[in-house]
Amino acid sequence: MDEQNPADTGGKTGPEGMSRRQLMRHAGWFGGAVVLTVAGGEVISHVAHEHDKAAAAADDPHALRFVQVSDSHIGFEGPANTDVTGSFENAVGRINSLGFRPDFVMHTGDLTHLSTPAQFDQVKQMLSTVRTERVFVVPGEHDSVGDHGKAYRRAFGANTSGDGWYSFDTHGVHFLALVNTLSLEAFGHLGTEQIDFVRKDLAGLSSDTPVVVFSHIPLFAMYPAWGWTTDDSLQVISMLRRFSSVTCLNGHVHQLFTKTEGNITFHSATTTAYPLPKPGQAPKPVPQVLPAGRLKDALGLRSVSYREGDNALAVKEERLT
Amino acid sequence: MTSAVPRPARAPLVRLLLRLAVVAAVTESGYLHAKLYVNGYRFIPHIGVMFLIQAAVSFAVAALLLVADEPVLQLMAAGTALGALGGFVLSRTVGVWGFTERGFQPHPDALVSVLVEAAALALLLAGALWTWRGRPRR
Repeated sequence: MDEQNPADTGGKTGPEGMSRRQLMRHAGWFGGAVVLTVAGGEVISHVAHEHDKAAAAADDPHALRFVQVSDSHIGFEGPANTDVTGSFENAVGRINSLGFRPDFVMHTGDLTHLSTPAQFDQVKQMLSTVRTERVFVVPGEHDSVGDHGKAYRRAFGANTSGDGWYSFDTHGVHFLALVNTLSLEAFGHLGTEQIDFVRKDLAGLSSDTPVVVFSHIPLFAMYPAWGWTTDDSLQVISMLRRFSSVTCLNGHVHQLFTKTEGNITFHSATTTAYPLPKPGQAPKPVPQVLPAGRLKDALGLRSVSYREGDNALAVKEERLT
Repeated sequence: MTSAVPRPARAPLVRLLLRLAVVAAVTESGYLHAKLYVNGYRFIPHIGVMFLIQAAVSFAVAALLLVADEPVLQLMAAGTALGALGGFVLSRTVGVWGFTERGFQPHPDALVSVLVEAAALALLLAGALWTWRGRPRR
């Protein structure tokens, strides 16, 4: 579309056939594009912040704000993190200094590393120091080592159904907390009884109700070779298809990962304990030892906000650095 | 002695229409990325920033292409379209910083975005061929 301007052919010609004047002209247009890009970026960011006051909704009494933490593995001992208790204390401190009081905090499993009563007591005591209205949990496979989750349910199973699943509503959002770690073979598993619970639980909901589903193991096929999926989750996902907005939040994989499938967005959370390798980048998903000082970059928590009337929840990741 | 391939009298109009079509396609691509950014993608680590950059560059390049038919702006327009299409393909295959999506979701933005970016590239290529065919020859 460009034609040579005769006026630009003057001046000295470089080895590539471009005159100094042409070079200056190209540089000028490029610079103009950069300036406009920066200005445009500022405008779009401003529009975004105006559009979603949830980003600064501490002063909005109607906004829902909650925090997800995951995989604290209290009791873990190893070079990947020699002080998981300190890391979890750091996470609790971060929650308490977020600048707003979360409506609730959800821990998506692997609270403990070996399910001992002492470890459950310790994590329960630490969670009691979080400044929030309520604390919810779902179990990870490390919370049911050797006892099919009995110790977990003694510590956290009040007001739950079946093996520990439950639902609740707040701020116009329906929350499901599922247990997919008790029948763990190769994959996560929900089981018929829990799927029936979900069916009955969702039956009375309007399709425009935002739904959030918590589980420890991903409900989507993140990496089946390592068991990072739930073998019977499609039955639950098919029940969720009719809702306009569904957000599934899980732990287990110790790393951030996001995937959307139609109306459903899946968010895997990072950990407060130690990182795991990315899918397929190691023979097994074993704790990763990072260079000194890099561990905190891999640890974090997640704050989520929602205002009634919005279509989607706003998810924001926070590092523990 | 130099000569050029003879062109019909409507050549400037064709070139103008091609340029306006590129502006429209690049603007639409930028608008879709800005909309997705505002509506929630900004909270996805790394992806949000990439959407913001894509939208801002697209708007800037489209605005400048409106007033000037410059090769450097055409290259930048092609870069934004190729970048967006590359990101689309990666997010449907190996993932981008752990972010994956499936098919043409979110609907219809993903499909429209791919179509306008492909159209922008095709139009830019047509414009480049038009210029090449009409260049002075020795």
